[in-house]
Amino acid sequence: MNIIKRELRAHMKSLFIWCGCIIAIVMVMMSEFSAYYNNPEMGKILDTMPKALMDAFSMSGANLTTVSGFVSMTSVYFYITLAIYAVLLGSSIISKEERDKTVEFFLTLPISRQKIIIGKWISAVINCIIINAVTGLTLYATTAKYEPGIEFNKFLLLMLLAMFIIQMIFLSIGMFLAAVTKRYRKSGTYSVSILLAAYFLSVLIGMSKKIDFLKYITPFKYFEANYIFQEGSLEGVFLLISLGIIAATTAGIFIFYPKRDLHI
Amino acid sequence: MNIFMYELKLYRKSVTIWSISIIALLSMFMTFYSNFAVDTAMMDLLLENYPKELLKALGMNSGLSLSSIAGYLAFLFTFVQICLAIQSSFYGFQVLSVEERELTADFLMTKPASRRRIFISKFMAAFAGLLTTTICTGIGIFGSILLFRDGHPFEPDKIFVLLSSIVFFQLFFLSVGMLISVMIKKIRSVLSFSMALAFGLYILSALQKIIGGKILGIITPFNHFEAGYILKQGKYDTVQAAISIGIIIVSLIMSYILYLRRNIHSL
Repeated sequence: MNIIKRELRAHMKSLFIWCGCIIAIVMVMMSEFSAYYNNPEMGKILDTMPKALMDAFSMSGANLTTVSGFVSMTSVYFYITLAIYAVLLGSSIISKEERDKTVEFFLTLPISRQKIIIGKWISAVINCIIINAVTGLTLYATTAKYEPGIEFNKFLLLMLLAMFIIQMIFLSIGMFLAAVTKRYRKSGTYSVSILLAAYFLSVLIGMSKKIDFLKYITPFKYFEANYIFQEGSLEGVFLLISLGIIAATTAGIFIFYPKRDLHI
Repeated sequence: MNIFMYELKLYRKSVTIWSISIIALLSMFMTFYSNFAVDTAMMDLLLENYPKELLKALGMNSGLSLSSIAGYLAFLFTFVQICLAIQSSFYGFQVLSVEERELTADFLMTKPASRRRIFISKFMAAFAGLLTTTICTGIGIFGSILLFRDGHPFEPDKIFVLLSSIVFFQLFFLSVGMLISVMIKKIRSVLSFSMALAFGLYILSALQKIIGGKILGIITPFNHFEAGYILKQGKYDTVQAAISIGIIIVSLIMSYILYLRRNIHSL
């Protein structure tokens, strides 16, 4: 319990900064949206576009003049932002003890490493939930004046759930790498490279149909907002894959961290 | 000179890794060019009939066709820029703060070298590292175009202008990173800061391309040196480039002054 509290307090400042940035981005974004909202000209243009073209830009179903279309067009950037937060949090929550040279003190306390890592994991998850909730609430609050209706609320909730799953994937990857790598400095680099590779891959997949099968390895393609909006659910296959990734890496954290050779 | 050489040695490995990954990224994207060019040639015909506002919303306002080398390069150059931005801001945050974090500041400060010299050599070393990456990026761009262009024409002189813009782009992140690192008492995690700066500005520019907005367009360097504009016109957007260079000069001078006066904590 003490560890959870301590970790939450240690990460509070960065959490506040990240939340502030997200709130600012959402507010700027929604203030621009007022120009698009129910703008019939824009709607007419979009109506005349052929479906193939819309598919190519993954814009089918995403109409910029409606709240949900607008949110789903921009959703991928929220996915990335929160994923970056999660992956950095995951790798730093373990490696910071070695970086700040507090690890010797920390591990001489009368608690098992098992307990330490559980405490750290719980507090990291709490942080992820908070930032997710802040994103959701800001989106909800800024869109409320357009009265988007119950359908949109359902879509928003599902999107937040998808976002949370992506966060958990990257959080556990970050923590796993920090628990496994020998040099504490490497874990951050590795986890950021994985994130960048996943993002670039998701862009590449959008360009060419031939490499569509690669979508199974990049989490940013798992829960596309368009799909969520049209089907009203998350895709089962990807849900299973992500649960698998999360379970495997989380198990890895709890196995490898207690055995970790510290770099002092 | 000693400090410069020592710092340069520290960058060797990281510069190598970054250069290789950028070249790999470029060639990966360029392999898809030939089949993409066929798909998009038809799309170009369709797009010609659509109004400007819409194309702008799709991020295709430069007037370059995605099926031409220039248009395709403009599209994929953003991803190279992301890599370069992360690298440059990482060096920026790292270069002045690393001594304090690793507790080697006492050692360095007792050397008979003025802070001025330390600042200049550290900056020059980081810049030299970035310059090497730029050269490798240039080789990667030309190499991958020549390999995968499939007989499509391209204009080397405009690509050289684009390459020269990388230097300012890197300097922007390097100098802003340095400024922030001397303004803050202690930087714990360099990676978090550099990811936030580089990716944050990227996301802003990406959002700006979808939703528009004047102020958003001014603050991010991803818009200052937009590949589409440069490849089309063969020159920088004067106003935007001036903003970027202004920010670079101001933050370099500020970080120089602040570093000379910095209260460096000893052990």
